[in-house]
Amino acid sequence: MGKYEGNPVWDDVVPIPQDDGEGALAQIAYTDEYAEAMGYLRAIMAAKEYSPRVLDLTEHIISMNAAHYTVWLYRASTLRALNTPIDKELSWMNEVALQNQKNYQIWHHRQILIDQLYPSISSDPAAIQALADSELAFMTQMFDEDSKNYHVWSYRQYLVRKLGLFNSPAELKSVENLLRKDIRNNSAWSHRFFLVFCNPEYSTPDSKATEYDARIPDAIVDRELAFAQAATFEAPQNQSPWNYIRGVLRKGGRKLSSVEQFAGEFVTLPEDDSAEDVKSSHALDFLAEAWSEEGKTEKADHALRLLADKYDRIRKNYWDWRRAPLKEKTSK
Amino acid sequence: MSLVSGPGRAGLSTASLPTELRLSVAAHVKYIQALDNRKDELEYHLTTHLRLNGVYWGLTALHLLGHPDALDRSQVIDFVLQCQGENGGFGAAPGHDPHLLSTVSAVQVLVMCEGLGELEARGKNGGGALGVGRYLAGLQDRKTGTFRGDEWGEEDTRFLYAAMNALSLLGLLHLIDVEKAVAYIVSCANFDGGYGVSPGAESHAGQIFACLAALSIAGRLEVVDQGKLGRWLSERQVERGGLNGRPEKLEDVCYSWWVASSLKMIGKLHWIQGEKLTKFILECQDTEQGGFADRPGDMVDVFHTVFGLAGLSLLGYPGLEEVDAVYCMPRKVIEQVLGPREEIPIE
Ligand SMILES: [Zn+2]
Repeated sequence: MGKYEGNPVWDDVVPIPQDDGEGALAQIAYTDEYAEAMGYLRAIMAAKEYSPRVLDLTEHIISMNAAHYTVWLYRASTLRALNTPIDKELSWMNEVALQNQKNYQIWHHRQILIDQLYPSISSDPAAIQALADSELAFMTQMFDEDSKNYHVWSYRQYLVRKLGLFNSPAELKSVENLLRKDIRNNSAWSHRFFLVFCNPEYSTPDSKATEYDARIPDAIVDRELAFAQAATFEAPQNQSPWNYIRGVLRKGGRKLSSVEQFAGEFVTLPEDDSAEDVKSSHALDFLAEAWSEEGKTEKADHALRLLADKYDRIRKNYWDWRRAPLKEKTSK
Repeated sequence: MSLVSGPGRAGLSTASLPTELRLSVAAHVKYIQALDNRKDELEYHLTTHLRLNGVYWGLTALHLLGHPDALDRSQVIDFVLQCQGENGGFGAAPGHDPHLLSTVSAVQVLVMCEGLGELEARGKNGGGALGVGRYLAGLQDRKTGTFRGDEWGEEDTRFLYAAMNALSLLGLLHLIDVEKAVAYIVSCANFDGGYGVSPGAESHAGQIFACLAALSIAGRLEVVDQGKLGRWLSERQVERGGLNGRPEKLEDVCYSWWVASSLKMIGKLHWIQGEKLTKFILECQDTEQGGFADRPGDMVDVFHTVFGLAGLSLLGYPGLEEVDAVYCMPRKVIEQVLGPREEIPIE
């Protein structure tokens, strides 16, 4: 006997077994507990029942298999039908999420719940703040397990947009904390870029991440450059802040050569035959681009040659591709 | 098709082999054929929601291995047709609610089995291909261009690609607003040259593959900054030869496929070292019991098996059927349906 068969709460339900499409029921020897629970769920869904016991049943199934999206969706419909308090559901989900790091259905479920909850708190800043705080605390817990969890970061962007957290000091602070722990966390860098350059207070609506935005204040561009530059000194071979600097310059409409001096801190290329000193291949790459921008073709080509032959040989073909247009220029 | 992992573990039995690693074709064919005999394992049933995807993965792998008939054609077609729902879409298994991703797998499998005629003759409500196309087109949000996975609304650039994949194979791309879809992809481009799951989201190799493949189908690759993207993609190769999906992450066979096929689509596959990647992928196979894992030493599964083989095929491994980078299906099959494939020349 299982958890449901013979249980008075479920007495009225006749479970529907899985039909694997081959009509053979004999093969269904899979673990009895899961099979039984799924049989009851199929029956419940067929009868379109939305009752408190559905919450127990789906909780039980999710504890065995959190990846079955139909179970989540049916649970969401039941919650809506029953008008269940959402905070209770959120804290239960925290546990499930912590136990199922790679699961994504749960994040979609969470989004559905927040969408449902939001209209009731949208005019109450204190309630929004409280929700933002508790969600942040939970995400911080998730990041303690895996600070690059893509689902959590996607959910976080959704939440920032939904609750309007662009100017929340806690939001930027938490990203800085994550970067302090791991300066190579590309997810945190990416989120920072989103927070800073999609802030509706001063950015152009729908300005793409790859384009110049005339409305971004100079002070913001300066602040971000200083932040990313400090990070490169900490770990010169970390590609994230180098990409970030390029992104900030683009947003601010500035040339790479405007920070040439900074990049030069990592690279010494003597004019004579003495050996060069390169502390970061990313700096060398950066300088090559800055120099080519300024028309210093020979210097740029020298840097690219060093990358192709010495500092990043695995990508020689890429560096040679970068050299090709320079050669054209010098031959003219 | 079972998605149960194991029984093999990658790379353990090959540790003593010389560097000249070989592909164990017979073992892989057997491994895939045996997947469906594992219904007594719990994992088989925990992955019911991916069953039809599993058939696509297994069948594609067999095609690439040059054994397209290793699964019984009529059984496969019968199973696929049993998964179709009243609205034209396909669920992951018989009786499951239709979902975009399983519908796309159904179309891909039917195309590989030359079973579209059976869909016309025996499909639900006589809707045939058009019924399937209408179901998929109905999932597009006409305001944003994006696609929902099902009637519940989760959105993802993967869905957009998947829908365009199936609709183009059915010759029904005109049912959707392709321009809106392209504009949405453009809005997902990031400052580092990559693409994320939505505007502002971190660049991710799986999403880049989806965006590029969708743009290829739409014939709109010119909206991509190909140099910048190729740079990001080529940075994914790690010392050991494999590719990761994001900076500072571990290399993985499935990401190796997404990155390499993306590079192929923009004519820049030579920006990574193919030999090193080939070696890494081969190290991820179980040479005796068959199958590939994400990394040497891990449990094999059919998902990493198809992407391992697709990666090797892309890199020109001898004896494998040529894969199409956009559809992740045999190129021969795609050319039968769509005609000769255009390619961006290597530069
Ligand atoms: Zn993988």
